[in-house]
Order: sequence, then C-alpha cells, then structure tokens
Amino acid sequence: MALRRRSRRTLPTMSRTPRSRRTVATVVVLVLVSLTVITVDQTGRTHDLTAGVRSVANDVFSPLRQAVDDVVRPLGDFFAGAVHYGALQRENENLRATVGRLDQQLAQRSFDVQQLRQLTTLEHLPFVGSLPTVPAQVTALDMSNFDADVAIDKGRDDGVTVGMPVVGSGGLVGVVVEASHTQATVQLVTDGQSRVGVTFGGRQASYATVAGEGPGQPLAALFVAPGTPLHRGEVMATNGLAGASFPPGIPVGRVASFSTPSGADQMTVRVDPAADLAHLTYVDVVQWQPTP
Amino acid sequence: MTPGAVVRLLAVVAGLLLLDQTVGLDLRVAGAHPELMWLLPVGAALAGGIRVGAVVGFLAGMAVDLVLPTPMGLSALVGCLLGAGVGRVVAGADHDAWWVAPVAGAAGTAAAVMLYAVLGAVLGQEQMLRVDLGAVVAVVAVVNALAARPVCRIMAWALGPAAASGRRRRARARRLVRP
Repeated sequence: MALRRRSRRTLPTMSRTPRSRRTVATVVVLVLVSLTVITVDQTGRTHDLTAGVRSVANDVFSPLRQAVDDVVRPLGDFFAGAVHYGALQRENENLRATVGRLDQQLAQRSFDVQQLRQLTTLEHLPFVGSLPTVPAQVTALDMSNFDADVAIDKGRDDGVTVGMPVVGSGGLVGVVVEASHTQATVQLVTDGQSRVGVTFGGRQASYATVAGEGPGQPLAALFVAPGTPLHRGEVMATNGLAGASFPPGIPVGRVASFSTPSGADQMTVRVDPAADLAHLTYVDVVQWQPTP
Repeated sequence: MTPGAVVRLLAVVAGLLLLDQTVGLDLRVAGAHPELMWLLPVGAALAGGIRVGAVVGFLAGMAVDLVLPTPMGLSALVGCLLGAGVGRVVAGADHDAWWVAPVAGAAGTAAAVMLYAVLGAVLGQEQMLRVDLGAVVAVVAVVNALAARPVCRIMAWALGPAAASGRRRRARARRLVRP
C-alpha cells in the first residue's frame, strides 16, 4: 500500500494526462495500421495494389541507388584494390586459367549441345538455349539480412516480368519476384522460400524438389526416396514437368552429400548451387512463363 | 510537427535508406550487413519521446517495406514498436549522458532484429529464423552502437521543435521523479 502511494506521488503515469492518452492512441493506431497492411498483403487479394505501390517506389529509388553506387563503388574498389593487390593478381591468374579450360570444354561440347537441341525440339520441350533472354547486370546483392535476393537493372520496360527464370554463372540463379519499369528483384535458389522441381539420374530419371535454406547455405533436395541411386557431384537440373515454374534442363546444383537416417522415409541430400551466387555480376532473364 | 520538420525527416529517411542499400551492403561481416534504418526510431524516441519515436519508426519501416521484398507492413510494425519501446524505457534517463544513445541504439536494434525475424517466421517466412541470427544481431547492434550518436543528432536536427518540446517534457518528468 505504501509502495503504491509512493509510486503514485513520484512516477508520472502514462494514462492520466491528455498528452499521454494521445501518445497511447497514436501508438495503438500505428500498430493497427501496420497489422492491417500485413493482413491485407498476406491474403493476396490486394497483391496487385501492393505490387504497384512497390513498383512506383522502386522506380523512384533505383536511379538514386544507382547514382550513389556509381559514386561510392569506384572509391571502394580503389581502396579494396590497393589493400588486396596480391590477392586480386592471383584471382586474375586463376580466372584466366578457368577461362582457358572453359573455352576447351565449350569446343568439345558444341556438338553435344547441337544434338541436345535437336532432341528437345523433337520432344517439343523448350530448351533454355533456344529461348529469348534479356541480359541484365546485378546492381545489389542480398539486400536484406533475411532473404537471398538480388536486384537487376532490367524491368518491365525490357520485357522482364514476375515469374521469369534467371540463369547465369553456371546454372539457375533464381526467379523474378518483383518487377518495376526499370529494375527487378530476383529471389535466389538459396532463399528459404525457393522451391525448384528437379530431375537427376540419367536413364532412370528420379525427381525431387530442391529447397533453399537461406543466404550462403547449401540447398536441400526433398522427397528423395531411400535407396535412390545417387553419387556426389551428380547434377540436378530443372525437370520441366507440366505446370513447372522453370523450363527443363537448367542445372540447379550438384550433390554435395547424402545419407539416409535410420527409419526416415526420405534421404537427406545436400546440394551445392550450380551457379556461383556469391559473385554474380551479369545474369540472363529467360523470357519464359510457366504454363498454367 | 512543422512542414519543415516533415521535409527534413523524409530527407533523412531517404538518405539513410540509400546509405543502407549502397555502402551498407558492401560492409559485410560473417555474411551480415548493417541495418542503420533501425536507428531512426531510436534517435526520434531519444529526441522527441514515445509518440515521435513511434511515428518515425512507422515511416522508416514503411520506406523499407516499399523498397525491399519483405512482408509489407512488417518493418513498419517493428519500427513503430521500437520507437515506442525506446521512448518508454529512456523516459526518465538523462539523454545528455554520452552512453545513452549507443546503449539504446545497440539494445533497441538488437531487440528489433530479433522481433522482426520471429514475426517474419510467424507470417510464413520460416527462413528468417534459419539464418545466422546471432551474427546478424551482433553486426547490427555493434554498427548501430557506433553510429547512434551521429544519427541521433541528425534526428534532433530533423525534428526541430518537436525534439525541443520532447526534451522539455522529459526534463520536467525527471524533476518529478527526483526526490
């Protein structure tokens, strides 16, 4: 009782003055507005509206971000180059060696690619090599600490729309999830929300779903039955089944490890992304839309 | 809030968002990058109190939600709660003490990042809890502790008279609390 009397005398409680009531009302209103926006966005009924508002915001924000990047990045590169000169030289030499090896492989595989194109044409399957693409530059990487995504400098004005697959740097990069007039956001295959239907195993084709586990993490192949023939380094490529989100034949990743826990109804398969997602600079947006 | 304060506030929100999305993205430690935007509600709450902190947190969060592919409204909700929470906690503190802004910046933004991840997971973005949350919280808290004082000064400048009246109210409240 004594404590209550003292606290009433000395502490200014929020609920007594009109100013305090106004403060509480403001906070409550703002929280309710936020919750309403979240609910409306989650139901998806106003997706077009929120996508439109975001598109306008990105149309305004992207040029500003690009301008700041154009000023800041050369300075950062200059200092990084001065500090890491030796490492850059070694990386340059490694890249030259890699380009040489890739040139050799390209020459060897041109015949295989030709044959594959002919076969897929016969099978009436869209092959990514024969689909139109829009080259784009990556302008920002992993913009949020919680999502694996990149921003590219091409948008609806260039024919890039939501749902289009993005390839580059050795395999599937991801899918366009937002597109404004001048830029687009690509959800990487490593994002926790990403799911890609894949096939593997050559003649005895098996199917699985490759799921993202977060930025920088390996992928997980789901629904692989115990006893499925599998080996490390095996390439998993998009399966292009009816209604799939991606055309067939795009490499998604390589099997890094696999095991079957006792009593489990599916194997635990870790997959390294085929594309080098940590060093993306240029990508191709494949102008392909899933068939409903 | 005067029209001039609103213009200054919008300029500060846009400027810090640009800084976050350009220079901030290049400053990565253990895969995590700083998130300076959380400092705006902290700075506003220190300068103008609970109400101003909540309003600025809502605006800053909405700006983030518009530019990033995050769940719409989630950053606004967390920003609003952060501003109101910091304003409530520091209501009786001496804001001129050198340690208040860094401690409020670090603790407030660490709590905001964790709340953001948990609410995101509740809204179906389970990957938000699968990332290295410890690294993200540590990077954001340390950088924001270092940047808290300059950002708080900028917020006090942007808010102008609102910050001054908030300071007067808090001084009055401190006089009441002291025996």
